[in-house]
Amino acid sequence: MNFSRATLITIAAILAMVLLGLLALGKAPLRANMPAGGDFAVRTADGPLALQDLRGKVVLLYFGYTYCPDICPTALLSYAAAFRKLSPQELEKVAGVFISVDPERDSLPHLKEYARFFHPHLQGATASPTEIQEIARRYGVFYARQPADASGRYAVDHTADSYIIDGEGRLVARLPHGAMPETIADELKRWMR
Amino acid sequence: MKHKQWMLSICLAVSASAFAQTAAERITVQDPWVRLNAPGAPATGAFMVLRNAASTEIRLVKAESPAAKVTELHDHINEGGVFKMRAIPAVAIKAGGEATLKPGSLHVMLIDLKSPLKEGDTVQITLGFDDGSSKKVEAPVKKVMPEGHGKH
Repeated sequence: MNFSRATLITIAAILAMVLLGLLALGKAPLRANMPAGGDFAVRTADGPLALQDLRGKVVLLYFGYTYCPDICPTALLSYAAAFRKLSPQELEKVAGVFISVDPERDSLPHLKEYARFFHPHLQGATASPTEIQEIARRYGVFYARQPADASGRYAVDHTADSYIIDGEGRLVARLPHGAMPETIADELKRWMR
Repeated sequence: MKHKQWMLSICLAVSASAFAQTAAERITVQDPWVRLNAPGAPATGAFMVLRNAASTEIRLVKAESPAAKVTELHDHINEGGVFKMRAIPAVAIKAGGEATLKPGSLHVMLIDLKSPLKEGDTVQITLGFDDGSSKKVEAPVKKVMPEGHGKH
């Protein structure tokens, strides 16, 4: 096959543009494909908790359920390990929030005890199913209760990303499940002021 | 001469039958551990590496434990970031290979724990294989995944 010089140059130019485009996509700030996020109000065993109350702190947010035997504990253990990598001064600028997407089973006292087991800086919270649905939608969280077995036990399918919200209440980063404690700690420090 | 050959084949037959081990004998279990459940969390996972020294695949078909009312084999499917935990009928351990039960993946699920676990406790788990043989495993309770686990 014989290509003219012009054809070859055109092909090379197109390839270069595609490559540059891909590089630009890869370098795009995380913010670009971030869900809306935004303020929310939930309840804890110690009273109401609104995201506005946490202004000035970097919030590490997770959506899960306490009957979750593996995915949630793995995430929360990595939060605890990340918190241990921070100095006491840095830790003061951080709030960890675990929101249960299973309010039917997760009572507030139970959520408190559950969260504290992982780290004292972690709060367990929930709200009504409708409120949770609304918050989850804004944060791009998906969850679906599975059919119960003969003894009434059920699992909840859920996304397992971690959300980082800056001191002004803006959702600034989303970390996938399995993020290392070092990565989480670095992200928290990155958004501290 | 004929007699000698006869003896030899008898010897071979005897030794061959001595090597016809059960699946439980062929499987070695490495680094078993049970995750300490958070207070009030009714279920937890048990993890381990199962190695199969045999030249045929062995299937782990059930697990039982006196620590839980129900013990099941589970897996996690990650579908576009959505984690779905499902009971599965068996865990295949390939000939000469291994199956790694680890967080976020395959695990023995201990459901409705009969009494709260404590770090340092040992949980007994009986693994049942597809040839009907079974193997007892003593898995220590740990809060955090042991260092180096799963890095084999």
